[in-house]
Amino acid sequence: MRKVQPKQNPLLKVDQFSFAYENINKPLFKELNFCLYENEVTLLLGASGSGKSSLALCLNGLYPDTVEGVTSGQIYYEGKNISDYPKGEVNQQIGIVFQDPESQFCMITVEDELAFTLENRKVPTSRMSELITEVLHLVGMENFRTRKIHELSGGQKQKVALAAVLLLEPKLLILDEPTANLDPYSTLEFIKLIERLQKKRHFSILVIEHQSNDWTELINRVLVIGQDGTIKVDDTSDNFFQKYQQLLSNEGIFQPHDVMDIYRCQDYGTASPSEKGWILTIEHLRYTRKEQAILNNINLKIRYGEFIALIGENGAGKSTLLQLMAGLLLPDEGEVLFKGQSLICWKENELRKQMGYVFQNPEHQFITDTVYDELTFAMKLNNISKTDMKEIASTLMTQFHLEKHQYDNPFSLSGGQKRRLSVATMLDETPDILLFDEPTFGQDAKTTQELMKMIWKLKQNGTTIIFVTHDMDIVDLTDRAMVLHNQEVIYEGVPETLWQQEELLKKTRLRPPSWIRKNVESGVFL
Amino acid sequence: MISSVNPTIKAISILVPGIFLSFTFDVFTPLIYLLFVLAITFTLTNISISKWIKIFSPFVLVALGFAWMAALYSNQTYSYGEVHFQLWHFEITTGSIQTGISLALRSLCFVALSLLFALTTDSTKLMLSLMQQCKLPPKITYGILAGYRFLPIFKHELHVLRQAHRIRGVSRTRGIKGQINQFRRYSIPLLANGIRKAERVAIAMESKGFTGDKERTHYHDLTVSKKDWYFLTMIVGTFIAVVAISYYLGYLNIFGRKF
Repeated sequence: MRKVQPKQNPLLKVDQFSFAYENINKPLFKELNFCLYENEVTLLLGASGSGKSSLALCLNGLYPDTVEGVTSGQIYYEGKNISDYPKGEVNQQIGIVFQDPESQFCMITVEDELAFTLENRKVPTSRMSELITEVLHLVGMENFRTRKIHELSGGQKQKVALAAVLLLEPKLLILDEPTANLDPYSTLEFIKLIERLQKKRHFSILVIEHQSNDWTELINRVLVIGQDGTIKVDDTSDNFFQKYQQLLSNEGIFQPHDVMDIYRCQDYGTASPSEKGWILTIEHLRYTRKEQAILNNINLKIRYGEFIALIGENGAGKSTLLQLMAGLLLPDEGEVLFKGQSLICWKENELRKQMGYVFQNPEHQFITDTVYDELTFAMKLNNISKTDMKEIASTLMTQFHLEKHQYDNPFSLSGGQKRRLSVATMLDETPDILLFDEPTFGQDAKTTQELMKMIWKLKQNGTTIIFVTHDMDIVDLTDRAMVLHNQEVIYEGVPETLWQQEELLKKTRLRPPSWIRKNVESGVFL
Repeated sequence: MISSVNPTIKAISILVPGIFLSFTFDVFTPLIYLLFVLAITFTLTNISISKWIKIFSPFVLVALGFAWMAALYSNQTYSYGEVHFQLWHFEITTGSIQTGISLALRSLCFVALSLLFALTTDSTKLMLSLMQQCKLPPKITYGILAGYRFLPIFKHELHVLRQAHRIRGVSRTRGIKGQINQFRRYSIPLLANGIRKAERVAIAMESKGFTGDKERTHYHDLTVSKKDWYFLTMIVGTFIAVVAISYYLGYLNIFGRKF
């Protein structure tokens, strides 16, 4: 960790602060006490659903005004209660970069979005152009000034979001999982950018993250919010992660460099792919959207029982390929064969019984009102008897720890529960192949671990699994990785060999998994 | 160039002749004015002719349809003159043919004027101009601007939902009841997601210091200059001139009354 000068007056002081969405007796977090200091970088850790994002919005005074929420306790900014500031002023002192790059802009072009911030600050028109040029230079986006925001990649959008916030000239910058949607290389790039800016401008930063690996060098202090909604740890020590290892793992929080142990569930062993032949083959596939080629000349063969990772930078066409494999999209040229038969020739209901697909956003999977209905939906369509249905549903609920939520609405579940249910809906009959679109996205360590346990179990039973993911630590566990770049598959083989091809990794904006990076850092070379 | 005319003034310039044209029932007035609108469309803007024709041509068919219906069903005021031919018991007279053609030309005038506006006006600038010239509150202006961004997102969400339903085997539900259920299944998550996204955008806007305060500076300072008044004068002035000429030549016909 980076050391800073001795403490001065706190920039932000949180005093006995509690927040609840409806009932103050059931607070999301309670009686928080902590301070943020000038020129200090603080990391806020906590399992998903522990209210980290809500806290961020409370800190800059947007909550509880904009939602139906109740608070108790006080937050002081530079010694003055934030509720005493005029509307809009604290927002300008404390800037936030949000997690979702899609929903934090209100204008169409980059330039207009940046101008929006300046207009809010009532900056004179004559100075705006100059300030916009300056900030675009700062984040390295000079050439994107007149581009439309929705045409940019995720990483570029986050840089624009950061630029807009920097124009507020904030003293405190809150980053709410800013890299959750980015490919590995863009993530690293974004963090390096923050590091550079912090050295130049000396603002304080509060980083909210699930996976803190890449941030460790920048951080001065770590705060941990526990599942009970209280601050568990507030520490500036160097060996933070060793010191609190047990506590962090109890709280379901990722720790740097030990991610591998979380994913690799030794007790299930590894089942090797069978020699039965090919479950899925793709021949000369070509797919275009709006006359632009997305995928070109794709040829793939996947064995029964294999575990495959489909990787590549943001926008490389990974999800598109997965949808083509599932027959959700039809190729312009070429064919997808499932068990030797073209997808077009399969009867829809037969195909869906044997092939499962899990969406990136678990909510997309849900189509009924209760957890029980969700689990039994496909069985009802297939006219399975009531008693069998009940039995299967209750087994699934036990297996996925959803017994208590049988009659809850799927949308009201927590993030982790939603993820588990979305997988469970595909398992009423064990499918032969399961396709996952970024299943670990935005999940905490505990949920990810549970998901990986399920995956190993399925794999042992012979299910073929295909993952689209940005998480190189998961890729490292698969039987085969396929890298998409410039519309084609440019690498296909065991992950171990992939990690040695530095040129290729750089070109495709990927990185080796954390254990290799750790070895390289400590001087052990492959 | 027309694209640089202030959007509010442009809207007024187009609305005035648009409204008054609807009172002229002769062929001459709308015909001359249509020629004028076409002339400025192709000289004072950089709209490509092929693109314009692509959008305009379907309206020609609609206008012909209007003309035919008006000719058949024109009431007594308009069905003067000699009978040219008879279709079943509809009589087609000189008057009804004229009324029909006039209606078609008027519709085409509206279309040409609307295209002149739509194809030369940036939607963002239109909203900003409404805020700066017509004092539309910033809350509404920026709300609508944020809404523009939502349209493609909504389309994408619907696409994903359709896919999700296929995965779960829903495409098999048939019949009216199934259809209603399907609509319900689509609409609830679509709305829920829409609300959630809107909330996020609202929070992001406020976090950038947006308060809805009417006093703000403007990056695109949209002012009304001499040029804008020239444009207004040209569009409305020409209309008045066309009406005047038509009156002198004895063609003008307002609501069937000749002058």
